[in-house]
Amino acid sequence: MAIAIDHAPRPVAATTSSSPAAGRRKPPKWLLAAPSFVWYGLFFVLPIAVIVIYSFGVKDASQLVPVDLSNPTLQNYRDVFSDLFFDVFRGTLEVSIGATALTFLVGFPVAYYLAFRASERWRGLLLAAVIVPSFTSFLIRTLAWRIPLQPAGELSTWLQDIGVLSGPIEVLYTRTAVFIAIVYNYLGFMVLPLFVALDRIEGALREASKDLGAGRISTFFSVTLPLAGPGIAAGVVLTFIPMCGDYVTATILGGTKGFMVGALIESQFRGSQNWPMGSAMAVLMIVMVLLSLAVLAAIFFALRAIGRRAGRPIVDAWRRRERPQPKPSRFPELFSPLLAVWTGLVLVFLFIPIVLVVRHSFNGGAAFTLWSGNYDTVWWGGEPGRLPSGKPMVGLFDFGTTGATLLRFLIVMAVGIALPRVWRLVTRRDPHPALRLWAAPGAFALAFVLNGLLTDWYADLFQQAGVGDGLRGSFLAAFGGTVIAVVLGGLSGVALARHPGGWSKIFMVIVFLILVTPEIMDAIALAGWMQRLGGPFTNDIGPLPFGMLRLWIGQSLYASAVVTLIVRARLSGIDESLEEAAADLGATPRTAFRQITLPLIAPALVAGGLLSFTLCLDNTIISALISGASSTFPVALISATKSEIAPFWGAGAVVLFVVTMAALAFLAVTLRRSGDSSSDIAATLGGG
Amino acid sequence: MTKPNEPLKMLAPESFRHAISRRALFQIGGAAAGLAIISACGGGDDDADSGSSDTGGSSGTSGGSSGGSDLLSQYSNVVNKASGNLAMFTWGEYNDPEIIGSLAESSVGVTMKVDYYPSNEDLITKLSAANGNSGFDIVVPTGAYIPQMIEKGLLQKFDKALLPNMVNVDPLYMARDWDPTNDYSVCKNWGSTGFFYNTTKITRPMATWQDFLDACMNEASGDCSVLDTAPNLCGAYFWANGINWTTEDPADLDACEAYMVDQFAQHIKAFDSYPSTAIAEGQFSLSMIWNGDGRAAYGRLLDGGLNVDEWKWVLPGPATEIWMDNYCIPTGAPNPEAAHAWINWLLTPEVSIKDLAFHGYHSGMKNIDQLIAELAPDLTYPEIIFFTDEQVATMQTGAVNSAQDRLVEIYDKVKAKAAG
Repeated sequence: MAIAIDHAPRPVAATTSSSPAAGRRKPPKWLLAAPSFVWYGLFFVLPIAVIVIYSFGVKDASQLVPVDLSNPTLQNYRDVFSDLFFDVFRGTLEVSIGATALTFLVGFPVAYYLAFRASERWRGLLLAAVIVPSFTSFLIRTLAWRIPLQPAGELSTWLQDIGVLSGPIEVLYTRTAVFIAIVYNYLGFMVLPLFVALDRIEGALREASKDLGAGRISTFFSVTLPLAGPGIAAGVVLTFIPMCGDYVTATILGGTKGFMVGALIESQFRGSQNWPMGSAMAVLMIVMVLLSLAVLAAIFFALRAIGRRAGRPIVDAWRRRERPQPKPSRFPELFSPLLAVWTGLVLVFLFIPIVLVVRHSFNGGAAFTLWSGNYDTVWWGGEPGRLPSGKPMVGLFDFGTTGATLLRFLIVMAVGIALPRVWRLVTRRDPHPALRLWAAPGAFALAFVLNGLLTDWYADLFQQAGVGDGLRGSFLAAFGGTVIAVVLGGLSGVALARHPGGWSKIFMVIVFLILVTPEIMDAIALAGWMQRLGGPFTNDIGPLPFGMLRLWIGQSLYASAVVTLIVRARLSGIDESLEEAAADLGATPRTAFRQITLPLIAPALVAGGLLSFTLCLDNTIISALISGASSTFPVALISATKSEIAPFWGAGAVVLFVVTMAALAFLAVTLRRSGDSSSDIAATLGGG
Repeated sequence: MTKPNEPLKMLAPESFRHAISRRALFQIGGAAAGLAIISACGGGDDDADSGSSDTGGSSGTSGGSSGGSDLLSQYSNVVNKASGNLAMFTWGEYNDPEIIGSLAESSVGVTMKVDYYPSNEDLITKLSAANGNSGFDIVVPTGAYIPQMIEKGLLQKFDKALLPNMVNVDPLYMARDWDPTNDYSVCKNWGSTGFFYNTTKITRPMATWQDFLDACMNEASGDCSVLDTAPNLCGAYFWANGINWTTEDPADLDACEAYMVDQFAQHIKAFDSYPSTAIAEGQFSLSMIWNGDGRAAYGRLLDGGLNVDEWKWVLPGPATEIWMDNYCIPTGAPNPEAAHAWINWLLTPEVSIKDLAFHGYHSGMKNIDQLIAELAPDLTYPEIIFFTDEQVATMQTGAVNSAQDRLVEIYDKVKAKAAG
């Protein structure tokens, strides 16, 4: 959602103007970015360089690192230029371009509605609703689509019974399924930058266009769309590039139809352990993706130029035709409700898997996707079921038990809600804000635990599978990765926005490379590299679980690149006068940073931190290779997706979701107190 | 690799579960502590664990079968105690949850942490990348991959004094090609590859890999799945055509590519190494499948409320695969003592059979028929777990050889074709 920024035309004057303090001796411009330079150099540039060197070697499976470099050769590159590679790459491009276009078509009306039609009050909520589904593992969410789409499933049977379908649903393992999976996962990355771009368009401009007689349509094409250009570009880049390298999402629903170039590279690194060939393919892939992007950009700019030129006559024509009085057509009345309905549908689309994940986390059967009425869970009435361990379980909606449960639940809740008021009556003082805020939600949580409704079932599942370990590992790893990403990204973002120079070009190239390098290549490079470094990277450190340091490093790379871009965007949107004023008033650079810059970039840090956290939580491929024995939830889950997915993975995903949401709620409350509006945060999240 | 959690309930009767877990708890866990007395009293269900765990001692608890079984007394039932954490890296749901959970704690004294990998290559890549610092104590590679792992120095030798129960393994499953002295590995489970199909969609008799390929290109076109591994995909062709699937002959490989890419690929619906769930979702009418997963598929079909009588498992001729997964201890394992103790515990008949009943793969114990009759008499679909001597004679062991790159290339090309 963040990379957006780069493409937004922005007042750059501030950043290039020479500082009034030019006379004073100043530290080098890249000073703040130095930690990131070191970090990226050590954990990205050097390891990747080693892997690129491997592409000139020959496979030698008898060695630990299965590469023989004694006779450097170009043969791998010759072999890579094969029909196979280009066939697969063409398929990947088709899917990525198609899915990007589809994501845009689905997402644009939503962004448009949010920016221009939704009331201020709803906007923040709706924006949050777009992001919220990404707070649990993308693997399990995508997998959940298999539930309604299975040919022998409930939905399929029902649709056939009522005569809507003549045969079973046949969607999985088709291109359609590939598109569903990709659009579902990337929609947020499209909607946010689009929203931010549209939101920035001054209402006055659109009003002016209409005052000049332009109709709704011509205003859209000659004013709104061109001004949204940067957002569109950002959305396209943010979805297109990761899609090209993503080989997991498409296969969960699309099976064979989702065979992407990333999978081809992975099969070389893992399947045949042909690292030299895998490296050569990865290098070629990066080059090809960048080329495709350049072509897309050229087309985009050409279209925009044509569009602008074409827009003028349209405006003129409309003006001529409608000069007397732009009569209100019936179009407007229909338009807003249509947009609202569309937005609603998209939100339903985003939340269907969440609902299904929750439901199927209570599945008593053996497989997550296969709802089994045969065992255990009693939804309403009947004999209480048994937990997987054989212990009896409370029927979830069993009437007798539910009555008592409900009563207990209500009592605890009532106490929670009444507590602040009782407090006020008794002490005749206003209760502490924290009490007022947390009493009700706290009671809600407590009621759940006391009733053992979810907790019995979940605790039982967790014991069985050790999912708990994975979750703990995930949170610890994501927390560390996020802290590193926010610190590094914050510093380098400030440096990029405030002290650009020759160094910033080099830095941006590195950041961009981090974003486009296929994850499997990063993973192999980093794992081998840490082995080479030894020391703290291969040994236990204090109380940390084994391999945690490696996870922090691995997960921080991509995340810090994203934070860098967000912070840079935030700052270059604000001119430098405040900091200059501080300097003029005699503040030292350190004071100015702490008192001016830091508060300015705070929303960007929060947004970047949030995004980092979700990125780290979902980090799969790098984590899988470098984690050692301390595995994370998605690492364990990705292995399970290749075998059987038991329902306890759903339970894990729900816990992940709930904990992340709770953290977010806490953050939101904290922020509201500190005065940042939610749409500010959301806007920053989207890259502005 | 596979495991019916469901079949645990569906296929292994309740009575058996209780019988086995109590016995395992009381008899194996701490016979020396005289728990047999408690056992006779039929104490609480789970809380029994706590009873046996305080036998504490570091090592050397001799087993014993108080339950009055002469059969079990013919086996070595040594259970060594250990302590600390034990990290295992293995195939998805390849152990009974209690065996890697509460029972391991009460019987052996270790706290288990288990991670999963989807292929041998993933295991090797991860161990190689960590070079002796992976943090795992136990790994479970398939036999064919063991020589390469030994050569790379990824495995350490067993201390056989700590594995007295190795004598329980049928000599047939010891001293295999990949590790003739069993210095590095001991059989965990073995199995084979066959197919599973819907008899209402494919009505002709199905008995060979040629039948599989034909049906996939006709009745089940666009409706069949194959295992997601290069050797198995190409194996179907080699087995059907009387070629040993470890062939390194370029002519064989070229012929395989020509057939698989040009004729077969376009009919494949999915590459799925564990298709049992998708079968019950109604996705496939014909699937190449490992035997334990084939057995699990029956449980899944019941789960989904489908008619199991319409489905059939086939161990195809004229030849097919035999694979064997093995317990090994990786170089640099943090807790090798615990690893030995746990592996040794798994080699006691009761634990071994309890595990078998969970996932449905032959565990290589000697006189396994009698053990099953004694410990798991109600085990369903035994014909998918235990094969006749004639069937075993048709099974070929795989190998990782010079054809590996070529097989992966064919597999990639088939996938690319199937995607288009």
